Amino acid sequence: MLLAVTNLIPESENMAGMAVSEAVDWLTSVAKNRDRQAFEHLYDYFAPRVKSYMMRQGADESSADDLAQETMVQIWRKAHHYDPRKSAVSTWIFRVARNLQIDRLRKHKLHEVELTAEAEHNDDGLGAHERFEKRPDAEKLTALIGTLPEEQMDVVRLAFFEGLSHSEVSYQLSIPIGTVKSRIRLAFDKLRMGMGEKI
Amino acid sequence: MKINHHPDDATILAYAAGAVTEGFSLVLAAHMELCPHCRNRMAEANAVGGELLSELRPVAMSAGGLDNIWSRIEQEPEVAVTQPAVPAAVDGVPGVLTPYLPEGLGSLPWRSLIPGIRQYVLGGVESGRGSVRMLSIAPGTTIPHHTHMGGELTLVIKGAYEDETGRYGSGDLADLDDTVGHQPVVGRDEPCICLIATDDRLRFSGIFSRMLQPLVGI
Repeated sequence: MLLAVTNLIPESENMAGMAVSEAVDWLTSVAKNRDRQAFEHLYDYFAPRVKSYMMRQGADESSADDLAQETMVQIWRKAHHYDPRKSAVSTWIFRVARNLQIDRLRKHKLHEVELTAEAEHNDDGLGAHERFEKRPDAEKLTALIGTLPEEQMDVVRLAFFEGLSHSEVSYQLSIPIGTVKSRIRLAFDKLRMGMGEKI
Repeated sequence: MKINHHPDDATILAYAAGAVTEGFSLVLAAHMELCPHCRNRMAEANAVGGELLSELRPVAMSAGGLDNIWSRIEQEPEVAVTQPAVPAAVDGVPGVLTPYLPEGLGSLPWRSLIPGIRQYVLGGVESGRGSVRMLSIAPGTTIPHHTHMGGELTLVIKGAYEDETGRYGSGDLADLDDTVGHQPVVGRDEPCICLIATDDRLRFSGIFSRMLQPLVGI
């Protein structure tokens, strides 16, 4: 299982294939115009990654393919719920895939609340494009994630993509659970500081 | 409401990753309903999830993948997918709990656990080897010292309690793992009502408390 960690090394050029603003345009066009071509662009980029995500969560290849297809069907159906002021496209798609995974593989549900704290304060007369700045800046976040020490990223990736609890991460990396948690805290402190927030 | 105690970053990350029990997600959602600070933290953790999803090594889709999707979209009727709205909070009780407490707090069928402590177990919530329950604890009551096999999240709904780690009032969330033992004492003025999720069994430390364990079933 320790091999899994080395398999998680990201491909550096992945994001180069798609600008963040392009994804927003595609998803918005799917919502407004039922734009099939835009949907296929989203499919080309995201479906193979969602499939990869499902396999890491324990699905075999054919189930993962099926779950990735279903994620895309949900993206088509729920596209009108996407609000570019609140989240990046990748964040929104991650949530759709994650919730499907919990429902199908873990067979329970995840209670959530609307994360509208930012959106509620948007009556500031800014144009739509300026408002996009309100969501966590995806490109900045990508760059910041790239600066985190590997030992912190290993812990964060294992939690996100192997669906491991902290005690399972602790077991797999042979480090105490307190160390797992402190690495996660350090990683998030650094991300928050980089995003210009008070901690 | 001034909230002073929040979930750990590690807990927020596990929640965003979907690696928590349904019971934990319920308590965390209830806290976030009351806490804009943690809603922001959750949005950040979700954004990290989105970025990491983009970084994953793609696995090629099956040859007919896209065609399958189009035929699924065409065959299944286009139902407008609406996200069920979370009901508004009533009487300080987060709306996400409403389906489990349809009659409100006042008419909950509490069961007496030990003198001073009454409980109501929320049924049908996946919790691993743990549970989700409401506790109503009489003013001045001390809960026997205990540690946890797994984690324990406690959200104070009404009243307050104190333990070794501080004072917890309405909206505060105590996030404890198996390294922490505590002995909560409820304030003298009013009962404390809280929502508690565990993902494993509790471990009481005293002999008397251990004898109680099979009886209270926590």
